[in-house]
Amino acid sequence: MKALRDAAAVLRAACRSFAGALGAVIVLLVMVAALFAPWVATHDPDALDILNRFAGPSAAHWLGTDHLGRDLYSRLVHGASVAMAVALSAIAIALVTGTTLGLLAAWLPPRGEAAVLILFDIVAAFPSLVLALAIVAVFGPSTLVVVVIVGLTLTPHFGRVARAQALALRSAPFLEAERILGASLGRILLRHVLPNILGPLIVLASMDIPVVIAIEAGLSFLGLGVRPPLASWGVLIQDGYQYLSDSWIPVLVSAGALAVATLGFTLFGEALRDAVDPRLGRDR
Amino acid sequence: MTAPLAALEGVSVDFAGGVRALDDVTLALPRGTILGLVGESGSGKTTLCRALMGLVPHSAGRILFDGEEQRTWQRRDPRGYHRRAQMLLQDAVASLSPRMTIGAALDEPLRIHRLPLAEGRARLAGLLARLGLPAQIATRYPHQVSGGQARRIGMARALVMQPDLVVADEPTAGLDVSVQGELLNLLLDLRAELGLTWLVVSHNLNVVRRITDRTAVMYLGQVVEEAPSRDLFARPAHPYAAALVAANPALHGGPRRPRILLQGEIPSVLRPPPGCRFHTRCPVAQPRCAAEAPKLAEIAPGRLARCHFPFALAGAAA
Amino acid sequence: MDDPLLRIRGLTMTARTARGPARILSDIHLDIGRGRILGVVGESGSGKSSLASCLLRLLPPNLERLEGSVDLAGTDLLSLPEPAMAALRGTRIAMVFQDPMSALNPVFTIGTQMVDVARRRAPGLTRAQALAKAEAMLARVAIPDPRARLAAYPHQLSGGMRQRVVIAMALLAEPELLLADEPTTALDATVEAQIVALLDDLRRDIAGSIVLISHHLGLVAQLCDDLCVMYAGTVVETGPTAAVLAAPAHPYTRALLACEIEAGDEGRLASIPGEVPDPVAPAQGCVFAPRCARAEPRCHAEPPLLRDIAPGRRAACHFPGAVP
Repeated sequence: MKALRDAAAVLRAACRSFAGALGAVIVLLVMVAALFAPWVATHDPDALDILNRFAGPSAAHWLGTDHLGRDLYSRLVHGASVAMAVALSAIAIALVTGTTLGLLAAWLPPRGEAAVLILFDIVAAFPSLVLALAIVAVFGPSTLVVVVIVGLTLTPHFGRVARAQALALRSAPFLEAERILGASLGRILLRHVLPNILGPLIVLASMDIPVVIAIEAGLSFLGLGVRPPLASWGVLIQDGYQYLSDSWIPVLVSAGALAVATLGFTLFGEALRDAVDPRLGRDR
Repeated sequence: MTAPLAALEGVSVDFAGGVRALDDVTLALPRGTILGLVGESGSGKTTLCRALMGLVPHSAGRILFDGEEQRTWQRRDPRGYHRRAQMLLQDAVASLSPRMTIGAALDEPLRIHRLPLAEGRARLAGLLARLGLPAQIATRYPHQVSGGQARRIGMARALVMQPDLVVADEPTAGLDVSVQGELLNLLLDLRAELGLTWLVVSHNLNVVRRITDRTAVMYLGQVVEEAPSRDLFARPAHPYAAALVAANPALHGGPRRPRILLQGEIPSVLRPPPGCRFHTRCPVAQPRCAAEAPKLAEIAPGRLARCHFPFALAGAAA
Repeated sequence: MDDPLLRIRGLTMTARTARGPARILSDIHLDIGRGRILGVVGESGSGKSSLASCLLRLLPPNLERLEGSVDLAGTDLLSLPEPAMAALRGTRIAMVFQDPMSALNPVFTIGTQMVDVARRRAPGLTRAQALAKAEAMLARVAIPDPRARLAAYPHQLSGGMRQRVVIAMALLAEPELLLADEPTTALDATVEAQIVALLDDLRRDIAGSIVLISHHLGLVAQLCDDLCVMYAGTVVETGPTAAVLAAPAHPYTRALLACEIEAGDEGRLASIPGEVPDPVAPAQGCVFAPRCARAEPRCHAEPPLLRDIAPGRRAACHFPGAVP
């Protein structure tokens, strides 16, 4: 209950600035599109209409059609589903593994802590594009590969913040009080440390969503991620790019959607961060 | 005298970087008594409490609880040790998990020790009433309660496990004098009702003199004097204890300056002086004090001091 | 006190809070005599530290309303323009805080900081002259080897030494009014005794007046000529320290004194039942009435004014105790 009320208060605070409110509106629109794509879309995103290729915006096709006559608006809406599914699952992987390793690092003896930190450094130092190319070369391109690669490369990001937050709590009197009551280490970490470090981590997650959306679009554009005909934003841009000489509208609207969505999530994430803890912004 | 409930025998605690926070401390807590622990910051009072609670390992000596060594307890029944020996931390508000309601915080000991919830909660309700806390406090959060209330909540949480020993680190620090008396009355009543043994750490000598049976004075990681409180405050044996007692300003009697004014401040525990650790500030130090470290010895029946020349300053103290 | 150094009249301060305006200080009337030491005592939330901030005009950012006058030997501190007030701080009024580190700049040596203070007071001084004054003042507050200490940084000194340095800096300004807010609370007992003895020594050769704010009645009893007891943002009793302690007139002063533990006490310890009033929703009548053992209907209806009850003694109570 307190967590819910805290969350509501933070959201209100985040929406107080113009940028935060704008970001929140965009995030809300993207989320609605992603969750209710079949209802929000006006057409089947894969329905071909060869006779109606490269149509301009009209009452039937709000944003026109692509090189196969598919409704661009509906494909963008379904692209939001793909983007959100990839972003949220990748970040879930990063959040869970990062937080677990970060907590562990904060409580392990110095040598164990150093080992975890070195692991973070190695992963963070590895160019994610090269990693992606290598993995795609082995497993072939797929959505799952994108999710796993992005999730792993973001893990150190969450792990370092989780460790820093947990270190700050280590000598908190309420943790010592739990030890005095006889609580086990696991209970202390899960019931007392975790709830108190989750806030900044969730803010971090919201700030990483646009990053993942952009990475997914980039990998898909290169043909390393989501495969056509699935309507990912990266795939849409790639399709439009191939037929740029026929019509500039598909590239413009799909790249525009990507830009607006990443901007919205970035603005919202930053407002959220400032609302939770203004100091986090300067530390990073 | 029956065997004490808990005892430290020659206990030393070392921290990283060669810091000896406790040095050869011997101290007994007789059952059903209140022992006061006084000394200035850095003297090792809190470290002693934490060692007694098993929160920091000791590098020498042994800690006995109910006749058994702490290490044996930790191997055999670590949770049982914590059920019987409890500690109230100095910062009572910060001792409560900030995102937990008071009700959830009060349930913690029941869940940790897998005690029957219904029975435990009934006992908690009785304790809350006994401690003068309204039942509705269970729905509040730590930042919504006062320092005095947080201390009672901490007490209820410790007492629901029916411990034998309760260590209270600065139980009145940060409390206004108008509520301090009530809390101390409670502490005395609980000893009488539950047969509790208390170890009370405080820098407030008036509080210690008033509520304790015996008092131990610490200086630079060592116990320098231990005696019945009445005797110690009336006629301190160790020069440091004498200075501490004399430094306590009295309300009546108008302006007066302490008759014993120590020079300088506590040396660093990193480099304790050789010989008697107090000789650098002692007004009555002799050449022997710098050369030879005194041992804690019985200087009168029931009175212990770590000094070559006990009572040398006694006449000057209040 | 015919011509007090500081004359506070009707000082009222309210602050904005989420729940509405909170009354921090209400209608304070207080005189501080020249060359006297006034002890201001009260529990947390009594407004004693807010009073000190008002005297320095270091006002909280959520200030809503500030009324009344604070007159320092003819200068009204509340209506003074900010540059003039800034010039006054650290010269005519100096302050010693609870935490000496907050008054010392960690990146400058003690000497540099003391020279600044000395030159603020006497701008014509050369650095050498100022350093000589600083050294003499460090010696005056019993700092061993003062010349070497001038080259030290604050973190190289112990807590007691730092507080001595802060006191020396305050005295270097030769202030008319020295404010000391809990100056020994952060120090250990034996070091506190040293600082108390020092202040006791210094009182003889300080020309100005001292306001000592403390929750520690024993300390105030030892050092102060006059006593001011505050409760819930009001002054409930003032008078010469010895007289007030011997025969307190206000029930709150009596209750507070009863709570102090003294040698030879027996039986149950005393406390004051009830809670400090909510500053956002102050009561109609006397601020202490809800906790007062002898409150009568009039006390709940009508706030008592601070009035003379004996020569030099004032109390804000409808039924003050008998004063010899």
